[in-house]
Amino acid sequence: MTEAEAAPRYRSGLFKNPVVVKELRGRMRGARAFAVLSVYLLLMSGFATLLYVLSTASQDIFGFTSGGQVGRTLFTGIVGIELFLVTFIAPAFTASAISGERERQTYDLLKTTLLPARALVIGKLFSALSYVFLLLIAAIPLQSIAFLFGGVSEIEVVLAFVILAVTAITLGTTGIYFSAVQPRTLSANITTYAVTLFITVGLPLMIFIVVALISSFLGGRLADVPAEVQALLLYGLLALAATNPLMAAFLTQFWLLNKQSAFFFYETVSSTTGILQVPIISPWILFSAVYLLAALILLIRTVRRVRRIET
Amino acid sequence: MSESDLTPNLPESTAPAAPSAALINENELIVETRGLVKRYGKLTAVNDLSLSVPRGAIYGFVGPNGAGKTSTMRILTTLMLPSAGQAYVAGHEVTKNPRAVRRLIGYMPDYFGVYDDMKVWEYLDFFAACYEIPEGNRPQMIGDLLDLVDLSHRRDDMVDKLSRGMKQRLCLARTLVHDPQVLILDEPASGLDPRARVEIRELMVELAQMGKTIFFSSHILADVAEICTHIGIVEGGKMVMQGSMDAVRRQLSPHREAVVTLLERADEAKQVLGAIHGVREISDLPDEGGRKRLRVVFEGEDTILSSMVQALAAKGIPVLNFNEQTQDLEAVFMKVTKGIVT
Repeated sequence: MTEAEAAPRYRSGLFKNPVVVKELRGRMRGARAFAVLSVYLLLMSGFATLLYVLSTASQDIFGFTSGGQVGRTLFTGIVGIELFLVTFIAPAFTASAISGERERQTYDLLKTTLLPARALVIGKLFSALSYVFLLLIAAIPLQSIAFLFGGVSEIEVVLAFVILAVTAITLGTTGIYFSAVQPRTLSANITTYAVTLFITVGLPLMIFIVVALISSFLGGRLADVPAEVQALLLYGLLALAATNPLMAAFLTQFWLLNKQSAFFFYETVSSTTGILQVPIISPWILFSAVYLLAALILLIRTVRRVRRIET
Repeated sequence: MSESDLTPNLPESTAPAAPSAALINENELIVETRGLVKRYGKLTAVNDLSLSVPRGAIYGFVGPNGAGKTSTMRILTTLMLPSAGQAYVAGHEVTKNPRAVRRLIGYMPDYFGVYDDMKVWEYLDFFAACYEIPEGNRPQMIGDLLDLVDLSHRRDDMVDKLSRGMKQRLCLARTLVHDPQVLILDEPASGLDPRARVEIRELMVELAQMGKTIFFSSHILADVAEICTHIGIVEGGKMVMQGSMDAVRRQLSPHREAVVTLLERADEAKQVLGAIHGVREISDLPDEGGRKRLRVVFEGEDTILSSMVQALAAKGIPVLNFNEQTQDLEAVFMKVTKGIVT
């Protein structure tokens, strides 16, 4: 029996998209996809083991082994490395999506078919991201080892996944946007990584410097700083979190532990002039909103670029 | 000058294997451009080009490299906007209704455009899906197309393992997945070995017999001469001459020529032929293996040819061979083009 006969006759939704079918067929063909997944999981397990050994060893000096601490180290370590991977893998998968078609000289062929630009772009994005998601989901059991030691709640696992997913979607869309705008895959890759580095490292660094400058300018004791200015600084921190997945993850967890809330809460700032209750939205919400909005804008612009007829 | 052997009582046919005239509707233009202009900065690639392709024709779009053939085709296939002028496919203006045009045309560019990580059937299946062919209809259609282009035995092979000729045939099959009315083929035979070239040519004729209009470009005149019903000669972005092969030939050389080979009675034959209306001149050609040969110059339609044959037969003159000398396209081409390349 051939594959055509074995395949289900009717598909639905995104799996009806010809680009998705083609891309997934190509990506999952042969041993490559499974080899990559296995190597990835082996590396992650190795990393988790290393973290475990390090965290238990360091605590042995004090004669303590706090299970919660070990669990927390394992969890944040694994999420951190995943975040790093997603930041670099997601754009790599998509930066060749459209420019690759041009280089293979199949772009014109696709453009003369009835395939809508929207279906091409979304199909490419979906199939690239689905492999990234496969990697993320495959690592969930590893993250969950932390549960054996305690110290990590279910909501943290869920929020970590949300932040990872949103990062993958937005950086993936950034890749596909530059892939459509730039003529070659090489230049698309370079621009994508430059922009990725800017939004994940450069922009937070700039905000951080500004916040640091303001606080040093205000000088000395925090209590001397008017509550209103402190509130502004707090929002600066929040803006930092909204532009950077690592900061978003870190601050979300910080407030989750201190305020027991992953959504909306008040932070108290006090100074000699008074006490202020500052309303705060948990950073992951702000981060997701900003990143998803950026992804949507990039997606629309990509579709427009692909739809455009050469002049 | 080339000779094409003809049976005396059949009208001249310029394209031996081309579709029968019944399939061609001269009055219904399926591809048309009016004053088409395409500029790239200062360079004018297409300069006020008007072409007309009747439904059912095999239209050879001939010209040197850089004459504006690919630009014209890219405009017709909705890939590029013209700087001025209009282009129509089956009455749809290409810039106003690109989707309708895409549904009607099958385009094969002058490169393969294949995915290296796909099997032959997957390649066709993917493009069929892009043309919104229902999934249930595809296996049958793919089987038929692979039969047509003689690639059924390579169905499950990876596309990049195919030879150039096979890739070209696969690409031709791809243009057919949505059963288009018009095939727009850019240099379909370029870069192929002689055998693959003949195969592509035969396929084009077969497709024309299936009722498809074929609009193809070439700079190889032999390809065009053998299979075309219509021709458009383009140079420097301008249409130099176009029309049916007969019309173009006739326009360039109003006189037609026939060579009659006789066993004997050459002088009697001269008298008989000289009496036929339309015959301008009769001269002797050198004997060939003891056979007498006459060159007859005439003007007019095919009926004159048949009257000549009938008259000779009526007198019982032993005719061995009767050929019309068709003017070589190469000669036509050299006559109308001046070697200008933009």
